[in-house]
Amino acid sequence: MAIISWLSRLAARGPATVFPALGMRGEEALYRLALNPRIRLVDSPRHASLLLVAGGMPPEMQEPLRRVHDQLPAPFTTLWYQSEPLLELQQADTTRVDSLDALPDALVDAHRNALGGELGVSPRLLPDAPPNPWQGLGDDGRGGEGMMGGVPYGRPMAMPPTDDLRDGLALDILTFRLGPFFPLWPAGLAAEVTLQGDIVQQLSVKSPPFPRPLAPVFFEARERAVPIARLELERARHHLRALFHALHLAGLEDLALDALGLAQSCEPEAIGALEKRFRALAGRMKRRGFFALHLPACGTLGEKHAETLGGFAARAAGIDRDARLDDEGYRRLDFSVISQRKGDTRARWHQRLAEIAQSLRLAAQAQQDDAVTANLEALETPRGPWRNEELPGDASALLEELLPGLEWGEALATVASLDLAGVSQWPRP
Amino acid sequence: MNLLALLLILLISLGAGLLLQWWPSRRQAMPTYPQRAPFLGGGLPDTHAWSRYHVRYYPMALLLIAFEMEMMFMYPWAVVYVQKGLVAVMEMGMFLAILSVGILYGWREGVFKWQ
Repeated sequence: MAIISWLSRLAARGPATVFPALGMRGEEALYRLALNPRIRLVDSPRHASLLLVAGGMPPEMQEPLRRVHDQLPAPFTTLWYQSEPLLELQQADTTRVDSLDALPDALVDAHRNALGGELGVSPRLLPDAPPNPWQGLGDDGRGGEGMMGGVPYGRPMAMPPTDDLRDGLALDILTFRLGPFFPLWPAGLAAEVTLQGDIVQQLSVKSPPFPRPLAPVFFEARERAVPIARLELERARHHLRALFHALHLAGLEDLALDALGLAQSCEPEAIGALEKRFRALAGRMKRRGFFALHLPACGTLGEKHAETLGGFAARAAGIDRDARLDDEGYRRLDFSVISQRKGDTRARWHQRLAEIAQSLRLAAQAQQDDAVTANLEALETPRGPWRNEELPGDASALLEELLPGLEWGEALATVASLDLAGVSQWPRP
Repeated sequence: MNLLALLLILLISLGAGLLLQWWPSRRQAMPTYPQRAPFLGGGLPDTHAWSRYHVRYYPMALLLIAFEMEMMFMYPWAVVYVQKGLVAVMEMGMFLAILSVGILYGWREGVFKWQ
């Protein structure tokens, strides 16, 4: 017992291990916490001592949230950032935080108190019973007849499919529902996935990702002329945050944090140093093999899908279209459209990095010339064109056609290279 | 007697190992059922995870055996080759022909492609 309590005290002194369950508009908390050295964000609840529920949680997500909540090992506690605690937990010792600045301290305190036994730990919400009880029937006690028959624990055995997508060797299929709190793809996205071995055989989207809020400057730009420098810095920030997710997925954690650090410092005061820092980051990414090793040349968007998505994804597929061309302010800055040809995962990241570099260059030039936007009718958001009243919408349905046939790792890299969530009609706070 | 001493040492060290593992966790409850379920970001699996999965290095293992077995028999064969003469050459030829079928099969399976 002494060893265990000594280990607990030691763990309490370390960084707070947090599993973030992101709701609507909860990603700001993620970006803030990822850069805090006292906090370690983890990708699985089993490695966490704290569950952070960040952002609004729609009623249909409460049952998945209960499942994630009950997967944290004891002792643990839950913090609610700009979110309403579940009904069952409202009687318990819940901590609700509404200020982003107060969140890191609240998490560190909760971690220390939970491991030190000073804070009431979260109670279990689901019954401690097998989800599909043992049925104990059949020749082998597997709930059925024969070696491969039956329904062990009430779930049928994965059975051989009719066809294989890779090399003709048919494997057992495995069907499961993933999300909406799967940390390696967009928050809110839930899908039913059928794998055959490591190949995605089928995918159907059950709930789309939460709409992503854009920076307020994009909304201002539809109402009045705004400085192009501000607009371009926010565009670069948006892409750099996406790069953070992709680098994290590739396991290049230090580069991911550098990309996020760069995104957080995309401010007009620091404009001079940004280009240089970004060039250094891009060089390190290349040397560490981000393009060659971690980005498969797959997930090619057809013309129809590229048109649907618009923005950088369309330009990566060779469609030279950008609403900034219709803006007199940008034309004065000699803006030209960058594009790629292949439209696959690798081309999309080449495109995004080129657009980040272009945005930083335009921002520096626009700040020097005091350039402002001139077109209120159409705006190129980081997610795609925003014409008239129509904001770029959700495009997650295209995954159903894009992912089958890809290996699981390739599928995740493809999802990370796309901006699938629609744009929220309310700006980021 | 020596064997008995060895058995005793084995039993004592096994017991000590198990005790060391059990002692700190003797008061800890088993993880709950929801905790033991696979983590799927809030989702649930449809089927059991007892699925048959193809080991993709299987052809590579086959190729290793094909080459290794060849060498294993070639060493003793080389010792008696001069003494046995043509018979030994023919026997080895047959043996290599059979093994080469395995190599050809591996070739067809793409074992020589580095991926």
